[in-house]
Amino acid sequence: MEAMATDMASFPLLSVLIGLPFAAAVFLWLLPATQARAVALLASSAELAIALWVAWHFDPSRNGFQWVEKADWLPSVNVHYLLGVDGLSLLFLPFSALLFLVLLLSSRPALLPRLYFALLLSLQGMTIGIFTALDLVLFFLFWELTLLPIYFLVSIWGIGPQRRFAATQYTLWMLFGGALILFGFVVVAGMQGQSALAALPLHERLTFALPALLSVPLPVEWQLPAFLLLVTGFALKTPVVPFHVWLPVMAMEGPVAVVAMMTGLKLGAYGMIRFALPLAPQAAMEWSWLLASFGVIGIFYGGLMALNQSNLRRLLAYSSISHVGMVLLGISTMTVQGIQGAVLQLINFTVVSSGLFLLAGYLHRRTDSCEWRHLGGVVQTMPQATVFFFFFGVAGLGMPLTSGFPAEQLMLLGTISLHKGAALAAVGGQILAAGYFLLFYRRAFLGPVTQRAVREAADLQRSELYALLALAIPVLLFGLFPGWLLQLTQVPAIHWLSHMGREF
Amino acid sequence: MVEQALLWVSVLPALAALWIGGGRLFGWLDGEKSERHTAWVASLATGLALLLMLFVDLQVLLQGEVPGSIRLATWMESVGFRVLISVTADRLSLSFATLSALLGWLTVRFSIHYLHREVGFHRFFALLSLFIAALLHFVLAGNAVMAFLGWELMGLTSYLLIGYALHRVQAGESATRVIMTNRVGDAGFTVAILLGFAWLGGVEWTELLATSTLLNSWQLGILTAGFLLAAQVKSAQFPFVAWIGRALEGPTPSSAIFYGALMIHAGVYLLLRLEDLLRQSPFLMTVLIILGTLTVLYGVLVGLVQTDVKSGLICATQTQVGLMFLACGLGWFEWAAWHMAAHAGWRAYQWLSAPSYMHLIHAPTPASWRGLHRFPALYTAALARFWLDPLTDQLLLRPTRALATDLQSLEDRLLNPGMGSGPLDQAVLTLPLAAAHGTGGEGQGLPTRCLVVLADWAQWLEARILSVGGEGMVRTVDELGVYLARIDQLFSEPRYLVLMIILTFVAIL
Repeated sequence: MEAMATDMASFPLLSVLIGLPFAAAVFLWLLPATQARAVALLASSAELAIALWVAWHFDPSRNGFQWVEKADWLPSVNVHYLLGVDGLSLLFLPFSALLFLVLLLSSRPALLPRLYFALLLSLQGMTIGIFTALDLVLFFLFWELTLLPIYFLVSIWGIGPQRRFAATQYTLWMLFGGALILFGFVVVAGMQGQSALAALPLHERLTFALPALLSVPLPVEWQLPAFLLLVTGFALKTPVVPFHVWLPVMAMEGPVAVVAMMTGLKLGAYGMIRFALPLAPQAAMEWSWLLASFGVIGIFYGGLMALNQSNLRRLLAYSSISHVGMVLLGISTMTVQGIQGAVLQLINFTVVSSGLFLLAGYLHRRTDSCEWRHLGGVVQTMPQATVFFFFFGVAGLGMPLTSGFPAEQLMLLGTISLHKGAALAAVGGQILAAGYFLLFYRRAFLGPVTQRAVREAADLQRSELYALLALAIPVLLFGLFPGWLLQLTQVPAIHWLSHMGREF
Repeated sequence: MVEQALLWVSVLPALAALWIGGGRLFGWLDGEKSERHTAWVASLATGLALLLMLFVDLQVLLQGEVPGSIRLATWMESVGFRVLISVTADRLSLSFATLSALLGWLTVRFSIHYLHREVGFHRFFALLSLFIAALLHFVLAGNAVMAFLGWELMGLTSYLLIGYALHRVQAGESATRVIMTNRVGDAGFTVAILLGFAWLGGVEWTELLATSTLLNSWQLGILTAGFLLAAQVKSAQFPFVAWIGRALEGPTPSSAIFYGALMIHAGVYLLLRLEDLLRQSPFLMTVLIILGTLTVLYGVLVGLVQTDVKSGLICATQTQVGLMFLACGLGWFEWAAWHMAAHAGWRAYQWLSAPSYMHLIHAPTPASWRGLHRFPALYTAALARFWLDPLTDQLLLRPTRALATDLQSLEDRLLNPGMGSGPLDQAVLTLPLAAAHGTGGEGQGLPTRCLVVLADWAQWLEARILSVGGEGMVRTVDELGVYLARIDQLFSEPRYLVLMIILTFVAIL
């Protein structure tokens, strides 16, 4: 990007955002285990407040990264500690802070509570790191580090009998994906300076800083390998259809908090928008049809598979695969509306998808099952839970007055201006989405109560209610007033596209 | 002043719905003792909406000119994309909105006694208020997106009220079926909106009608067809006639206002709004004539064999709405508008008094018209509602399900083992196909698979060298044949043929 305007932060607020959860994770070992939850909640609330402060003081009219922090880290290979946010990544900070707060609020682990909260808090720190890191090495560090807490969270606190397997499988998949991303980054960082003199010392030939990389495009012949490596790596995490098999297993085996975070925060899709596409713009433009095809396949594959599922957790996993297909389609259109819609939908996911998974967890806690055969008539004993389930469900369908509506409309709008067939397919996918959601809703929540567990189930507890309310409010708020989100993402989206070589 | 009033017309009932719904959810409204409170809030909000409408009408009458389209604010904005918060105040919208507000308020008043001591009293009033808000929002909307908001909310409240009896399986099934049919219409509406943005740069009703002359006849046809599809589904016109019969599961006042008086006319209203667009497309006008006629025939024939009040009334309603579509197709839009207003008023009265008919007649329900008995085939067809529901099942639902099942077996048998996903809990696999064949279940990854294949191959080679017989070869060919036969069998299923055709279309577009 030509002359990327950067605003250095006077106070390292982003570092605080990253460091605070880690600090809390260490600090809670000093206190008795009974207070671990309180400490975690306190730290997470502070985190949300700071993230909101950052979002509030962000200037949406200006281009480029803001709140930038830079420090030398490994000068011998030109690696920096470089943080910053722009309009595309800014919203992920308050939303992931909110998500983690809600996840902490609704977890009450009986086993090793201190370790649990410490791992979840450190995961939060790493996640914020992923959203703010602007140096490829730093990003990669946070990216790979997340595997550690996830592995332990799943294998220790997972709910299924095969949680160890799920954890191992996930870690292996992500290590593989990580390797691809690493190769991609090495290609990008190394080949950038290739045109310069080869005799230069290493630290002058390598560039890892994103703003610098964006200002000088990668040599064209190296763009395709970099693009394919990065896109495949991120696709594994997203997950995009043929690589999605770990997600349903994880959804069945993992603890609610981790699964909600995985389906809520689509780190892979974020990686595509932030790194994979802008680092290899020409290749991305040329191969955008590939992303679009995988997007359309994903919409239908996920939707049809969700129709088959009798278990809510698996259904939500496939529905998330279907939704992310739509996001991929939105990105692949390379239009302002498509990009804005994709970012809005990713934001929307953090609340909607995690809300649904939390509800699945609440149901599971009461009835020991998420199979619709073991449920039925839930509305009669748990009306509040049902209202929230329905609300998040229709928000996922893109119902007007929820934050899903602007996101879906924008993505469809971007798609239709480019390819009518893909847009029609996506609209058809919406019908399918209504089908699998309402079918499950009817079977599990409506009808007569047949199971004892359902008859004896109590409605939401106070903390559960607050957790869901905290997620529902932004859905309604941004559904009623989407203007602010659009305003925030417009300038960076235009900029992103002009970098990709699209003119307006 | 007028514009503020028009905005509040739909916001007030929505706020009432939020208050009552919130009260029910968080417990400040519960049980019989709060019924008075709920009833008071709902009638206040809808009554105020009615008064505001009357106030606006009076203003307009005094000033002697209709304000037309009023733009209030921007809702969403991005490059080449802008959605305004705007209202339409012309003769059509003002009169229909006033009528809707009046009927809405009357229904609220009626329901207070009708639903006294019902389990879902508060829920009913929250949904009814929300519906009235949605309808008024739709009628007064200044652009297609605003109209779509109302449209979708109408569909949602209709779904929730059909499923009003939460414990009844039948209610839930009907509701799901109705909203799924409605989603088809919504998809048409969405496509029309998207095309409006893509081709015309905006979807303000006035702009849409004014700039539509720039489109070629092909584009115009597709754009209008999207709206037409939406109108057809919402007004239960042919071939989407069947859903409305299932929609009567809800309480009678809601049936009255949704399917008797107001929501069923939403499609007609949309056609009236798009009069200029339709007039440019003779082809679609012809389609309207045909569909209207078919609906009238359907309504009359099916109506003749119904033996309960609600079903008989819904067929009569459908017939009249079919006549309105027919009138639109013939270009008599003014006539259709008058018909719509008169019909809405009359039907509301008829539906609301339907529960008392039993007491009024003092006689058994008359059997169906004897004349039809002379045509047994027609009689059977009418009784079976022309088999439209089972036809949809056969043509749409079953292939979709089958496709989903095929994908599941693909994932279980090919993708999961291939990608190294582990043994799945067999209880999770609901599919007979996957269960019958077993999944191997060793949890091998691709490399392991390769190794196993390699080892197998080596062993086979060894066996072949050791023994002279060529049985192994024969067996391999046999297995291959079975596989190929299965693939062949799959692809000869009609669903794959249709899928191929759809894919081709998608790629071409």
